[in-house]
Amino acid sequence: MSATAALSGAEPREVESRDVSVPVFADRNAGYYGSVFERLQKGELPFWHMNLAGLLIPWIWSAWRGVWLMFWVSLALDVVGLVCLMQNFKYGPLLEDAYLDPSANAILIERYTRWLSVYNNVGIATLVLGRLLIGLQANRWYFGQYSKWRIDGRTAHGVAARRVVIAVLILVLVAPITLYRATQQRIDERACFNQVRAIDGTKRLLSSYGVTEVSDLTSAMAERRDRLVTERATLEASASLTDDQRSRLSAIRREERQLRREIDAAEDFKAVTAKDRLDCLFIDDFPTLARVAPPEDVTYRRVPDEEAVAQGRSGATKVIRQVKDPVEGRTVNIFTYTAESIDIGINFLRAQYAGIFDALTNVLRQSLIRVEVAFMLTPWPVLVGLAMILAWAYCGTGTVVFVGSSLTFLAVFELWQIAMQTMALVVVATAICIFVGLPVGIWMAKNRIANWITEPILDVMQTIPSLSYLVPAVAFFGISQPPAVLATVVFAIPPMVKLTALGIRQVPQSTKEAALAFGASERQLLTKVELPMAVPSIMAGLNQTIMLALSMATISAFIGAEGLGAIVTAALGDAQAGKGLLAGIAIALVAMVIDRILKGIRSSLSRI
Amino acid sequence: MSVVEVDGVWKIFGDRAAEAIAAVRNEGLGKAEVLNRFGAIIGVRDASFTVEKGEIFCLMGLSGSGKSTLVRHINRLIEPTAGTIRILGEDIGAMTPDVLRALRAEKIGMVFQNMALLPHRSVRDNIGFALELRGKDAYHRAQLADRALETVSLHGYGDRLPSELSGGMQQRVGLARALAADPEILLMDEPFSALDPLIRRNLQDEFLSLSQNVRKTTIFITHDLDEAIRMGDRIGIMNDGEIVQIGTAEDIVTAPADDYVADFVAGISRLKLVSASKIMVAVESHVARHGPIDDAHDYPTARPEDDLDTLVELSTGTELPVLIRHDGNTVGIVTKDTLLHGLQGTEAA
Repeated sequence: MSATAALSGAEPREVESRDVSVPVFADRNAGYYGSVFERLQKGELPFWHMNLAGLLIPWIWSAWRGVWLMFWVSLALDVVGLVCLMQNFKYGPLLEDAYLDPSANAILIERYTRWLSVYNNVGIATLVLGRLLIGLQANRWYFGQYSKWRIDGRTAHGVAARRVVIAVLILVLVAPITLYRATQQRIDERACFNQVRAIDGTKRLLSSYGVTEVSDLTSAMAERRDRLVTERATLEASASLTDDQRSRLSAIRREERQLRREIDAAEDFKAVTAKDRLDCLFIDDFPTLARVAPPEDVTYRRVPDEEAVAQGRSGATKVIRQVKDPVEGRTVNIFTYTAESIDIGINFLRAQYAGIFDALTNVLRQSLIRVEVAFMLTPWPVLVGLAMILAWAYCGTGTVVFVGSSLTFLAVFELWQIAMQTMALVVVATAICIFVGLPVGIWMAKNRIANWITEPILDVMQTIPSLSYLVPAVAFFGISQPPAVLATVVFAIPPMVKLTALGIRQVPQSTKEAALAFGASERQLLTKVELPMAVPSIMAGLNQTIMLALSMATISAFIGAEGLGAIVTAALGDAQAGKGLLAGIAIALVAMVIDRILKGIRSSLSRI
Repeated sequence: MSVVEVDGVWKIFGDRAAEAIAAVRNEGLGKAEVLNRFGAIIGVRDASFTVEKGEIFCLMGLSGSGKSTLVRHINRLIEPTAGTIRILGEDIGAMTPDVLRALRAEKIGMVFQNMALLPHRSVRDNIGFALELRGKDAYHRAQLADRALETVSLHGYGDRLPSELSGGMQQRVGLARALAADPEILLMDEPFSALDPLIRRNLQDEFLSLSQNVRKTTIFITHDLDEAIRMGDRIGIMNDGEIVQIGTAEDIVTAPADDYVADFVAGISRLKLVSASKIMVAVESHVARHGPIDDAHDYPTARPEDDLDTLVELSTGTELPVLIRHDGNTVGIVTKDTLLHGLQGTEAA
């Protein structure tokens, strides 16, 4: 009594024990499930114990009780089994045809028989074993659901006819069409296209004849043909014809030819059965048969503007627009339409804003040349010494040895100058990545909308195959180094941006709060707290950016960038495995040298 | 003029705070209803108090009671949904960002439970942070920082990084950082809660003695009533965003405002908290019950402000009651019965 009082006085809390709640969970047939669950928990349920409903009507049972995982698994198993058996309807007729002439079709008969027996065996095995599996597992799955329900009361429980209705709908949607598909051969590629054309053509005829029924159309056309035939016969019968009559005769002949085509089209249309239409909708590919007229074939060119030059403005240019005549009757699908439109857009931008692109190309080329000169004219002992001193200062002796031997590799194989070209490209690209990536990263960390916009763009930049944007890069910036730098930036900038944003975002809220409490402005917060604390993360981003830039060096050789990558692509063209491997190793070594030294610097920074 | 005046401050978190506050005021909605109807959470509910110059004001409450939220209103790290806060007579809600930053840097120092030191800066640069933000030059910064370090007895640690220091030392750095700019107000958000008991006790003592010297107006947050009683000149007890009682430790222990406070103070030793004046019986009623006071005996005497601990000391070894004398007059009498009931916190029969 007193104990109860003390307990009830402590904390009034609604604790409903669900141990006694199997009846609530199972609803129907609770006695059976109560004993099954108990035996399961005790480990006493023999493994051959089977749920009869699960064995015989698994879809209905599992839907009724809300065990959806089991519903899908049993549905999948049954459908796979049935699809195998359905092959009988696909190959059966073929086999019969083949038996009409057994000696000629021996190979076919042998093949079809073999296939069918495999399909039949697999189908029956799947059905039988699948059902057995479901029957054995049903109670265990159901117990799993029960355990889940005890934790989360919203889990499906009890029995519900509504769920059975949903299950039947799913079955109706999935099973017939899948099974039907299994009985049919893959249809001819042009068949569906021709079908669409016949349907479209007949629709046009219907409207031009002003009738609504195809039967009316046929009779109207027949009538017209009879009329034409009669008229022609009359004209042909008469011995002498006037000029008017002669021209009328040839007109009739033309009209007759046209009419014959129309009649053929109507015949084609009538030959299209409901089955054909269904097959084209569901058995062929996704029904994207829309064909449209291609975009106008326009080219934009920038040419000297003679008028302006005549007026004294030397070097003036203008953009001219040239339109090519469209190819008669050419239709394209939506993919081609869009691709051609993009080409025209690029062409327009290139011509219209030539100045901007040329200037940008020039800036890139000039800065590349400067950096290249710096790398190539610095005597190699100085660079090697510098790298080794850095390695010695920030990393261990092991790294010094590694750096030394890697650079020796470059020197021995006479790859030094070429490697320096690659380095120049990497340095310029990395510099751009830092100057662009850092602010964007900060912006992204601070602004939710910016994050929302930038994140998918970065993902695309990281995953889009680099070859696919090398082409537009060439279109805008020509070949050789400048477009290579830009392509490298596109490829290498995402980690810089992402890790800057990450570093700033992971500055603890409490630290920022403390800075604000001592009177920091937003700018001071950024420069004195957030950026310094994000440095390790930013350095990690920089490291990755450099690695990616180096790996891009090979690919940009495809558009004429010089350096180690060019050796690799040349070796690819000439099938010289040795050359390619050596240059590839050189790239890897340069990457590893930079990586090791940067890692050393990073760890010395993050010791703080 | 009070140094800090908090007047009718409400804080409701959520997009529909304005609607929620109107509904709460007009219909007296509870926490759960506000959450249900507006998806808003009441952080602070109509809080008002003032803190005088040099006073240590403790805000006490369990976690989630809104005390940390309330204290962040005082330097406007959090904007109130309604109500005003005045610092030295100035409404901080009306301040421009510049003025507010100057106030934060020069007038208010803050100490955090998790220290929140900048890991990439030396102890000295951490302490000089507020000064640096105000553009003070490096030389003076270092001097002021070293002085602050001495105040918290960490002389010579200026060039260490925070990570090289123990938790207790880090919190001393936090305190030094708050003191460096010589602010008038200290906000201390559970500064000692994360430390182990011995170091906590140590720092409490040090802070109290430091406080004697510098007399900073302090708002001290804690979830520990013992700490509140040790540190606070006055204590405000918060529950569910509301300040349920404000008073001295003695007020709160002897006259809890409601069951919640009573539950809180139930386990607190009254020895050092309750004074003789709170439990003594008037001379007349004593005489009426026990007969006149015999002048022949040498009664022990005490003053009205003496605590129960002193009375126990006086009462042992004698059967006589203690006379409470004030200005040469006997103003009350404490018998052993009265004393024992007083210790227990119950009324004498």
